[in-house]
Amino acid sequence: MALLRYLLRRLVTMLLTLLAISALVFFIIKLPPGDYLTNQIAELAAEGDQSSLEKAQFLRHQFGLDLPVWEQYLAWIGLMPGPNGWSGLLQGNWGWSFEYNQPVNAVVGQALLLTLVVNLAAVIFVHIVAIPIAIYSAVRQYSIGDYLVTFIGYIGLATPSFLLALVLLYYLNRWFGISIGGLMDPAYADQAWSMEKMHSIAAHLIVPTVVIGLASTAAMIRRMRANLLDELQKQYVVTARAKGLSEGRLLLKYPFRMSLNPFIADIGNILPHLVSGSVLVSLVLNLPTVGPILLQALRVQDQYLAGFILMFVAMLTVIGMLISDLALAALDPRIRFAGRAA
Amino acid sequence: MRTTLRCGLILATAAIALCLAAGASLAAVADPDASDASGTGAAPSQAHVITIAPEVVLPTPSSFQDAPMLAPLVESGKLPPVADRLPKNPLVVDLKGRNREFGRYGGDLRSLVSKARDLRLITVNTYTRLVVYDEKLKLRPDLLAKVEAQDDRIFTFTLREGHRWSDGEPFTAEDFRFYFEDIANNKELSPAGAESIFFVDGKLARFEVLDDLHVRYSWDKPNPLFLPALAQPRPVFIYAPAHYLKPFHVRYAPPDKLAERAAQAKLRSWAALFNRVNDPYDNANPDMPTLNAWKIVTKAPANRFIFERNPFFHRVDAEGRQLPYIDRLFIDLATASLFAPKANAGEVDLLARGLSMYDAPVLKEGEAEHHYRTLLWPIARGSSYALYPNLTTDDPVWRALNRDQRFRAALSLAIDRHIINNAMMFGLGLEGNNTVMPESPLDEEANRTVNATYNPDLANDLLDGVGLTSRSAEGVRLLPDGRELEIVVEVAGDSRDTIDALQLITEFWRDVGVKLFIKPQEPGVLRARSYSGRTVMVAGPGLDNAIPTAEMPPYEIAPALGENYSWPLWGEYEETRGKHGEAADLPDAKRLLDLYHQWRQTSDGGEQTRIWKEMLRLNVKDVFSIGTVTRELQPIVVSNRLHNVPEKGIFAFEPTSYFGVYRMEEFFFSE
Repeated sequence: MALLRYLLRRLVTMLLTLLAISALVFFIIKLPPGDYLTNQIAELAAEGDQSSLEKAQFLRHQFGLDLPVWEQYLAWIGLMPGPNGWSGLLQGNWGWSFEYNQPVNAVVGQALLLTLVVNLAAVIFVHIVAIPIAIYSAVRQYSIGDYLVTFIGYIGLATPSFLLALVLLYYLNRWFGISIGGLMDPAYADQAWSMEKMHSIAAHLIVPTVVIGLASTAAMIRRMRANLLDELQKQYVVTARAKGLSEGRLLLKYPFRMSLNPFIADIGNILPHLVSGSVLVSLVLNLPTVGPILLQALRVQDQYLAGFILMFVAMLTVIGMLISDLALAALDPRIRFAGRAA
Repeated sequence: MRTTLRCGLILATAAIALCLAAGASLAAVADPDASDASGTGAAPSQAHVITIAPEVVLPTPSSFQDAPMLAPLVESGKLPPVADRLPKNPLVVDLKGRNREFGRYGGDLRSLVSKARDLRLITVNTYTRLVVYDEKLKLRPDLLAKVEAQDDRIFTFTLREGHRWSDGEPFTAEDFRFYFEDIANNKELSPAGAESIFFVDGKLARFEVLDDLHVRYSWDKPNPLFLPALAQPRPVFIYAPAHYLKPFHVRYAPPDKLAERAAQAKLRSWAALFNRVNDPYDNANPDMPTLNAWKIVTKAPANRFIFERNPFFHRVDAEGRQLPYIDRLFIDLATASLFAPKANAGEVDLLARGLSMYDAPVLKEGEAEHHYRTLLWPIARGSSYALYPNLTTDDPVWRALNRDQRFRAALSLAIDRHIINNAMMFGLGLEGNNTVMPESPLDEEANRTVNATYNPDLANDLLDGVGLTSRSAEGVRLLPDGRELEIVVEVAGDSRDTIDALQLITEFWRDVGVKLFIKPQEPGVLRARSYSGRTVMVAGPGLDNAIPTAEMPPYEIAPALGENYSWPLWGEYEETRGKHGEAADLPDAKRLLDLYHQWRQTSDGGEQTRIWKEMLRLNVKDVFSIGTVTRELQPIVVSNRLHNVPEKGIFAFEPTSYFGVYRMEEFFFSE
């Protein structure tokens, strides 16, 4: 019952947070002088289209950009009827992209999927690589192996990811003939799914996964190692060992579980990171993900497209936070009990 | 030559005068007689008629060959055979005379763009227009079979019989009528009225359909802007596929049904829907029929855009092969920073835009292994980096200073262009003013160096002469109102080279007591600031069209356009016919505007040349813009298998449309 009330309260605050974020996002997008058409007209004029200025007002009216900002905002989130009636985010309409001349869902649909693929691969990579290394270097503290992985970890933290990306691209192309950039060989771009296409995607996933994952891998090794070291010195470990528990069972059953807590708290950050975490790398590597679309949308003030992506990320953050709070409470009795006591 | 032209002009004027005296309307003169309408008859003998015709007329081949790619379609009956797809009088291209090879069919050409909107560059590069410039920058018919221009007033276009759109529907006079009546002069589609090239002295063109293959545009006064506007890289499309667009037009389709379709597409009106589907330039609508050599088949969003050959293209080689030789274009989306690595890895067959001399080492390195070559073409620009003192700036002190010819000359004389050349262009550039390049017939050597040598002593004397004698403790001159003479030079933030050059100029100007502050801006913001007169000085590229001929309009060197950073308010005044902005008030600026108007009134080539040259001389004498170096080299990556790409060429948007005048449909792959 208490949990239900807690959930309800959380949901209401979530909605209010999202509302505040949506207003903030929209007004910040509208902050720079001009709008999408100003940019486009400047571009046309630069190409010698002399009638462009005359067309401006007409198009501005067509796109509804001549309305006051607050009206545009309310119509966008669906709290008041816009030029096309009630059709905002609340009604499930994601808006129209001026730049692509298509509905926003058509523009970001495919990209969202690929973004999730890339970033999930990176997250899995990080955990698979970081956890064993961290356990090893905690258990064998100050051994040569510990120093070695620590050293490599620092390099991973310190290398600018875009530089590493370019270097890896070049050598993978030279040595293995993998085409530069993108998520698949261009030849497969318009083909149906097949084994070869999957294979091409897998090969192209190597660089982004390594590049996106490397910095977080290094960070995760350090944190995990520190957490484990804390736990390993505690009394219960000594007790367990004294009772004759095998080293491996002891390690995984108690201190390891304890040291996972901060990572569960992290889910709230990982979820939005899955979508927006790789903008720079995606740009450098030419990945067809949401990152480059968002950047371009912000540059040309494609307001509904940029607004939707930012709102989507905000929503993931809020949901991620909720999940991690619930998961923590479920996993760690201390948190539940602390709540009851208070 | 000169005298005959002048005689022609006098005769023409006399003819007009006579007609007026007789009370005959000018339209009557323009009216076709029966022989004229057939397109073969001579125009009235007393008028000055220029016929735009191919340089070499080759006989139409007796039989035609078809691309193997289309053979299955022809066999299954989906396409008519090649002879039935071509016009009766296809354009037979002269390959031999231009040192090109006869090609073979097949292959896919791979290239890159950095965003989907740049697909419009395919329309530029595949340069198919009513009339086009050839490599010597002479106007030639392309889609049209013939153009007759009488006194630059009456233009009669002859279409090719049997010419078809890419969907097989005929291309006829109806497509011109549809554009002129139902698009250009439709209040909802063109709320501001028809394109400005249709107006001379505020009077709209008279448009007549003579028959299915002949249309005529006429004015009372010459309109020398008309044909060049049709041959531009971004032309005014004065025709549209009527058969495809009519179902979207309220005059031909039931309004309620159109409104429904518009609402489905989330648009407010049928006009918005019409504007979306009518897309002759951007390559955003794969359903739109085209007359270009290739037609887009991929709908955005995508990472690879495919263009397939247009089976109804109107050009053939002398052996009867219908062009283009290459089957398909594969245009991949890629981040600009990956262009050079991708070229280095052999992933493109032809790529120029997006590469720069900075990439040259990377490009050279991959040549042998990945079988391509790197051509270096000079870029046609008045100056790669130029400075524009704003003569119409808001600040009264700066305005007075910028308007002083001695001040502008001093700033120019204080720049050591040789150092910029060595630092930025490996010493390969051409130093001097922002003016036309030696390749232009209008070039005069003195124009490059007047006020553009390195002479800091003279610069100092000139600045002293302006009255800027008192200096701050750091040696910076002081403005009359006591402020430091610090010039804020605004520049588009994405032009890295220009900012580098400005850093050098900062040093040179410091030597004469002038401080320079570089302020990078978002291009849109920069333009908006310039329009409203808030900039003091802007840095950017020089003349867009640096290889003009006399028949191209000289609007870049007169205060005619608001987008020119030297005189945004004067340009706006001229553009809006006096509604906004300010009238040009410097004597030489007024003279430039007069000359520009004179150019627009004349149809005489000799007179046009005289006007151009005087305008160019005035521009460098007055230093309306400060040029530095030009003739930057553009690396072009070309696959070794790709033929008919000339080793030497000029790279420019205006007037050559990048690869446009070098005719991409003639490029081909060897085995």
